Amino acid sequence: MLDDWKENLVSYMQRLLPLISSLVLLFISYTPLDFFPVHNIRPAVGFVCAYYWLVHRPDLFNLVSVYFLGLVDDVISNVPFGANIFSMLVLYILLNNLVRFFNGKPFVIVWYGFIVMVFVAFFTKWLVLSIYYAQFLPFSIVFFSFLFTAAVYPFLSLLLAFVQNNMIADEE
Amino acid sequence: MKRRKSLFIHFSNIRQLAKKFALVLLVLSAFILMLINKTDTILIEKTSSVATDILSPMIDVFVVPAKAVAGIYDYFKELKQVREDNKKLREENRYLMGNLDRAKALEIENKLLANMLNYTPPPEAKFVTARVIAEEGDAFSHSLIAYTGHVNKVKKGQVALSDKGVVGRIDKVGEMYSKIILITDINSKIPVMVERTRVRGILSGDNTPYPKMIFIPLEAELSVGDRIVTSGVAGVFPAGLPIGRISSIEKNDVKVTTFSNLDRLEYIKLVDYNLDDVLID
Repeated sequence: MLDDWKENLVSYMQRLLPLISSLVLLFISYTPLDFFPVHNIRPAVGFVCAYYWLVHRPDLFNLVSVYFLGLVDDVISNVPFGANIFSMLVLYILLNNLVRFFNGKPFVIVWYGFIVMVFVAFFTKWLVLSIYYAQFLPFSIVFFSFLFTAAVYPFLSLLLAFVQNNMIADEE
Repeated sequence: MKRRKSLFIHFSNIRQLAKKFALVLLVLSAFILMLINKTDTILIEKTSSVATDILSPMIDVFVVPAKAVAGIYDYFKELKQVREDNKKLREENRYLMGNLDRAKALEIENKLLANMLNYTPPPEAKFVTARVIAEEGDAFSHSLIAYTGHVNKVKKGQVALSDKGVVGRIDKVGEMYSKIILITDINSKIPVMVERTRVRGILSGDNTPYPKMIFIPLEAELSVGDRIVTSGVAGVFPAGLPIGRISSIEKNDVKVTTFSNLDRLEYIKLVDYNLDDVLID
């Protein structure tokens, strides 16, 4: 009885790991560090995590997880509520139609896919917030953030791959 | 068998439909949240304050380990600098000690003269020093989360200062944590003046590291390097707090470089100037 309960708990936690690992990385990305080479430009960790898990384990990272990650990002940051959720959902919609294409493809193809899709997500966020504030936000900074996020993807995906390979049971 | 298969297809169709419906619903909810944000700020503010109070301790957990890892990198970077800085600081200290004596004499003289003029001094400021636990600085917003809140009697609208000058103001206050809008944020508008010429204007953030000075009179005399301080107009910020220097002037575009390095704030001072009548809670 106790073993069953333990087994269920472990399996439940494993199913939550993609979301938990994404939240942990998101929290760390907001900590005040002098670590980043260019100030004022930080990688959009939420996009990286959402993309990684939607490509590799869509069974464990679904629409609700994407929404929740966006919501948490909205709470921590000072952008209007809903802006991060919206851009995350755009990424989800794009990826939902193309996830089969990325199945079993080499890392470089998945990375190129990320670059294209995250550009659309960044652009959407920029557009939505520019409309919200009724003035264009600095596009150059958005573009550098996008470049930085694209450059950081291989490193963060290594971390997430570690979580996937060592802590989550294989898909049944 | 055929019936079971058709039932399965039917069920799968319903699932697909429900998924699409949920997606539309969630996209709509994101839009509605933004609309509420634009119209009903009180509801969003209260929700956001509570949510920040819930999430901030989770970020706080990672501050120390993350800083420890980053600290190794910083340690080697800064080791060389420390000796030079030490030498410079000793000289600076000697110079400042001399200035302190002069300042003390001036303070006494000032008090005597103020008494003679029947001058009413401004209320004494109280402050709370708070640790920064999260920072955000990109094209979309510039803000901080500090470890202080209602428990320390901080209020919305209070000034946030670093050791070099104004960094922003409190935007949302939770029980334990507060959100601070930096002066570079698009929502930040501060009445300022040029210290040398007393020309007034508004310092407006635009999510770049260099906020703009706007609403300046056409004939205003400005030059690069002029110090910008708060003007005290509107009463939210007291007059004379240092902000930065004019870094470029191009037609109507006056850019300001802040004295404080807004990307490297570890501690900030939240000052209560007893302006309760002006601050909106």
